[in-house]
Parts: sequence; C-alpha cells; structure tokens
Amino acid sequence: MAVLIGTEKGAFVATSDAARRQWQVEGPLFKGWKVTASARSPSGRYLVATASFVYGPALHVGDDLSGLAQVEDGPAYPEGGDLKLSQIWTINAGASRHYAGVDQAGLFFSDDDGQSWQPVPGLNDHPTRKGWLPGAGGLCAHAVLVDPANAERIWCGISAVGVFRSDDGGATWVPKNEGVDQVVPDPNFPDIGRCVHGLAPDSEHADTIFRQDHSGMYRTYDGGDHWERNEAGLSSGFGFPIAMDPLTSALYAVPIESGEYRMPVGGAFRPHRSTNGGDSWEPLGNGLPPPPYEAGVLRGAMAVDGLDPGGVYLGTAAGDLFVSADGGDSWQGLPCTLPRILSVEVYVEE
Amino acid sequence: MAHVILQLPTPVCSILGLTARSHEVEGATVDEALEDAYGRLPGLRVHLCDESGALRQHVSCFLNETGTRWLTEDEQHLADGDRITILQAVSGGT
Repeated sequence: MAVLIGTEKGAFVATSDAARRQWQVEGPLFKGWKVTASARSPSGRYLVATASFVYGPALHVGDDLSGLAQVEDGPAYPEGGDLKLSQIWTINAGASRHYAGVDQAGLFFSDDDGQSWQPVPGLNDHPTRKGWLPGAGGLCAHAVLVDPANAERIWCGISAVGVFRSDDGGATWVPKNEGVDQVVPDPNFPDIGRCVHGLAPDSEHADTIFRQDHSGMYRTYDGGDHWERNEAGLSSGFGFPIAMDPLTSALYAVPIESGEYRMPVGGAFRPHRSTNGGDSWEPLGNGLPPPPYEAGVLRGAMAVDGLDPGGVYLGTAAGDLFVSADGGDSWQGLPCTLPRILSVEVYVEE
Repeated sequence: MAHVILQLPTPVCSILGLTARSHEVEGATVDEALEDAYGRLPGLRVHLCDESGALRQHVSCFLNETGTRWLTEDEQHLADGDRITILQAVSGGT
C-alpha cells in the first residue's frame, strides 16, 4: 500500500506492507510545489493536483505515481472572466465522472478519466454567488460527495458558504444548511453563510453525512435537508478533517481550539473517534506525542484505508504523519519530518 | 521573425517534464515569442499567465538583462540571438 502525502513543498510516498508497521518514505515528487489533492479512479489512474503561488495550479494524471503528466485541458476558469483558479482542493474520482472542487470556489467535471474538464455552471454561477465570501482558507470548494447508488445526487461543500446539493447531476443546486449556525450573516442570503470544513459520507446510507463545520460537528440523516449537532465527548466542536472508515463505520475527527486559536486543545494532540455514528466521541492518544504538540491537521490531511483492522492516517501542519493500524487504538509516527502536510490519501493495492 | 532563446525556471521545467531550461522560440516581439513557446511547450501557458491573459503577478520576464515591465512595446522587438528569461519575482514567504 502507498500513502501519498501532499505537502507545501512536494509529495512524498510512504509505502508499507499490509501490517502497516514498517514504513519507507520516498520523494519528493513535484519538488517545491504544493500538492493539494490526489485521487485514484476506478480505472487505476492517479490524479494529483499541484499549485504554486507563483506558477499557479495544475492537474497531473498517470497510471503510476512515478509517471504523472500534466493535463493540458485541466480545470480552468475562462480567460478574461472575473474568476481565478488558485488551487484544486479536492478530487472525487468516480467510475464514469470525476469532480474537482477548486478555489475560487467552483466545481469542474471530467468524463474522460481526468484528461479534460468542464465547469459546472449550475454551481459556479449560482444565484447566491454574490454572497460568497472567502474564509481564512480562501473561497474554496473542498468537498464533493456523490451518492454511490445515484450519480445524479451530489453534495458540494464550500468554505464560508455552506453545503449545496444537486439532485439532477449538477444542473441545479440548492443550499442545504438548515440547522447549522450561520457564521457569515447576510440578510440577502439566509441559506448560506455557513462555514463547512469537512464532509464524510456514511459508509452504508448515502443520505447520512457527517459535517465538521466552523460552528461545530453536525450530521444529517436526510441528505442535508436538516442537520443536528453531535458533539458529545469532543474536546471542541471546532476542527477541519472528518472521515469514516468504510468497513467499521468508525468516525474520526481532530478537534482544535476555536476559530480564533486553531491549536490542539490544551496543547494535547488528540484525534477523536466515534463508534456509534457520532452519538459520542472518545479521544485517542496511545502513541501520539505528549503535550505540548501545537500543530493541527488540515482538512485534506486525514485518510482511512478501509482495511481490517482499519488504518487511520493523520498528516499534521508540523510535517508529521501519524499512522494507526488498529482503528485508532494505537499510533506511530513515521520516521521523518516533512513540510506542512496539506493532503493525505491512501492507495491500497488490490 | 527572430530566433531567440527562452530560459524557463527549473520548477516549471520539472513539472512539465522538460529536461532543458533553454528552448529556441520565434517571434518578432516578446509576446509573440511567448505565444510560440506556449504552442511548442504544452502546459506552459497556465504557469506563466493568469485568467487575464497577462503574466502572473509573481512571474517576471526579462529581455536580455532588462525586465520587460520597464520596456516600451517598441523596445520589446526581438533580434536573432536575444534571450528571454522567465524568473520568479523576488518575493518573501516560506
């Protein structure tokens, strides 16, 4: 198996056998470039997004990580328009269609395994767009979920704006934020102004989604029509990444202290786990560094591998990668310190 | 039409899979030479230009020893053997 660790200065590949105890780290790929997202499509093709504040964003594809080539017709806003694309935040690679969420917030799709991309105007030109304001991380579409049983049903999370859902394959989109506290009040757009940080789909029920939001932790059982808080046991409702192990349905989050501070609560780096669908959470710390460890995990830097027992991977803003090969019961750090980690994805060999 | 040398920064070369920094291009002006380069080197345009069509904010372009931002249009006409150099503008950060 391989873990692609995207950092501020390139990507590193950590490899291990199925036991996930002995690791080798190689790299960097794309030395000096931000590696902001990656995915592997059902065809086996890798898609890796890079960005640079000097030289802009790009998407690269290839059948193996050492043979990636830049896509010429990647996600891009039209020349002469008002929108600028600074980075690709997320890639959802489906069997027939891929989606890429970008900053400035927008969505693009590809029907040819990532070789060419077109915009999703129903979202990118949404009537509420004039009320979209950037948060601390920019104005980014960072989460895309697709119903595995109905590709017409799509969710997109946009930071400082909220969650939108399409029921018609992306033609039209409706804000889905009822029950979530509004953090960017705008009387002209009461349905947005929510700051979603991360979305995790339930492993069995597509309409059950878990939401790490600026204003707290939420879940929905009806595809986003209504959201409710589920924060019992969390050291803080604030955080960024959230993920569900598809095999065990265990949820993982990394609480940090408030939007003002954004540091581990009390200096204790403690991911949390819920094994009951978010009804309650427990801190995990066996093998993690003792306090003070004052770095968090960015929204794209947590992954699960779906193996038995489940593997959980946390890349920190301090450049450490922590791995649990037992669902979070114990952790080990990889023997390396990398640049600030932006994205983590796990690729298990079949 | 002048034959000139375009020198690219190493991060751009590496991400495009180019083994050489210097590339022969043609054009009567700097803009024409860059357009020629975009045609010869797929994927280059997105790294040098933003959605306005102009060079990105932190990308600098030199004709021989002088930054093109200090040159008039007339002064950006090319002669055989000229050298166009693309550099990252001096910028702070990490």
